[in-house]
Amino acid sequence: MRRLIPFLLLLPLVAGCGNRNLILTVDILSFMDPSTRVVNYNVPVLASDTVEVFSDSLNLLQGVSDVTRAVAASLDIAASFDNTSGAATGDFLIYFAAADSANPFTTTPIANIPFQLFPATVTNVSTHIDASPALAEVLTHDKAKVGVRVVFNVTGVPLQGTETLTQLTATVIMKKDL
Amino acid sequence: MSKVTSLTIALIGCALLAGTAESQTLDARRLGMGGVVTSDVGDFSGSNIAFRAVPKGAGGTGSIPLPLGLIQYLSDHPVYDSKDSLFNIYKIANVFLNPPLTIQLVKPKEVSGDISIFVAQDSLKVDLADVKRVIPENSMKQGEVIHLFGIHRSVGKGFVQIGPLIHLRNELILSDKLRDALRDGRPFTSNTRYGLTDEGRAQAAVAFQVGYAARALYRPPANESSTDPRRNRATALYLGAAPKYLLGLAYGDARGDGGVTTGDTLFSGSNPVTIDMDSQTRNSGIGGSGGLGTGIGSDVGGVLYWNNFEFGLGLNDFGSQIKWKVTRRRHLYDDTTNKFTTTVEATNEEYTSRIPVTTTINVAKRIGRTTIAADVVDGDLRTTMHAGAELWFGMWAVRSGIYRDQNQMAQFAGGGGYRFGKLGLDLAIATNSRNISRERGAELSASLSLY
Repeated sequence: MRRLIPFLLLLPLVAGCGNRNLILTVDILSFMDPSTRVVNYNVPVLASDTVEVFSDSLNLLQGVSDVTRAVAASLDIAASFDNTSGAATGDFLIYFAAADSANPFTTTPIANIPFQLFPATVTNVSTHIDASPALAEVLTHDKAKVGVRVVFNVTGVPLQGTETLTQLTATVIMKKDL
Repeated sequence: MSKVTSLTIALIGCALLAGTAESQTLDARRLGMGGVVTSDVGDFSGSNIAFRAVPKGAGGTGSIPLPLGLIQYLSDHPVYDSKDSLFNIYKIANVFLNPPLTIQLVKPKEVSGDISIFVAQDSLKVDLADVKRVIPENSMKQGEVIHLFGIHRSVGKGFVQIGPLIHLRNELILSDKLRDALRDGRPFTSNTRYGLTDEGRAQAAVAFQVGYAARALYRPPANESSTDPRRNRATALYLGAAPKYLLGLAYGDARGDGGVTTGDTLFSGSNPVTIDMDSQTRNSGIGGSGGLGTGIGSDVGGVLYWNNFEFGLGLNDFGSQIKWKVTRRRHLYDDTTNKFTTTVEATNEEYTSRIPVTTTINVAKRIGRTTIAADVVDGDLRTTMHAGAELWFGMWAVRSGIYRDQNQMAQFAGGGGYRFGKLGLDLAIATNSRNISRERGAELSASLSLY
């Protein structure tokens, strides 16, 4: 609870401010260990392969749900593939689940970004997702489970390279709920 | 919420603020002259006790406010239900800061708008948008000594009076860093303390007062045309004094200092910030520990007339103090245990509170039927200055004025009136900054003058 005390102190200011919004933008990526943002992939055969980039429980907007109600949310996600050899098509998948769920990958991905990799090429992918109110509620809980998974459909071997998560930003629009 | 309930809330606000000379002037004649006080304009709240002894002049003896603003309020009042989407606490605060007794011609811009907060592990930036206007550049100060409706009876040159008295005072100071972050939207930084200090005091008493005001000197002019020293060129000095016994009903004060100190990284670990809070409170009151307080005080004043000039000095609550037996407590927050501890440091401790003196210095000059006047009113945590003029053309009066209000802003006023024998109807338009964002608004005030 004390983690975000500095801005929880500000909530009364918006609480009395009529039919207006509190717009919280959280750079989730900055809370992640830098080593978890990067994953090396190496697929030596022509096949499909799945790489889990990240799966963890993150502290999000603690305490906010006590006085506010999420009405909308969005996510901005970006990743970079530094593909040294091989070629592939694939999907970059983002999962969000409530903290009490066993595994974020058991839920339906909230984003599926297709990509195509070529030898010795850096490929950047990004997307903006307008999340559902249900997901907005997840984002305002004390914790949430986040998972990032990459599925490769290898068309040229050996597929080797490094995937780096470069942006994971959540924006939640809330209204007072007193 | 029904109109009746809304009106009740408004009336409570008006009653609490009634008689506060520096806050809202309901006398349209005085307001049209920039809120200035003279012995025959706007002194119905008793800013100078010596004025009681000055003979009634042509200027008027009283005022009856016409609260036209209540009609406007009933058709457009704030929503008091916090669950309503239109609930806006700043609009409600404005009802209390600026009771709806006058018609609001220019309302300050409503405080609303979205608040944006950006959070990263080592970054926190807050854009309060419109709410920034609520945060002052300096400290938030509120101080007032309110003399509520009392009962008084004149006996010759003397008088007796019983009336409740309330003193309210609060000063909230944000540290420079916190103010910069909230008001100017500067990012919060690591290893920095964001603190605030608040000092508040409230006390209520009943004043039992006996007073006497009389002429101490009178040198008549060569040709005495009237008995009004304001206009007959006489040299006259009037003095007044009214000691008072104060029966203290309740007292409370609090002084708190708190802050949040960020660590090397704003949001790292489970306890990224260190919280400190330390406050002390003192209280006493009827029905509680300490019981009633007792004290004494006085109102004194003098006014000199010379060659149609008027020089007045009034000191209200001069030397006023109340002795209490207070309970003193200290409330300390322990960052390690994440708990408050309250320690009773003293019970029945003798403590003397002071009612701050309100000083009114006024000067006026009458030239024919024209009055030019100015005053300085120095009260608790605020000093205001007013200047204005009134010109009569037959039964018609034209007035204008300027004043510096409690927010140190220049405000402008003007108005007029028509006299029907013993009664006059006055209208005034004046600007003010009596709102939560301290922005300039304008009001239309109406009242009846008694001549």
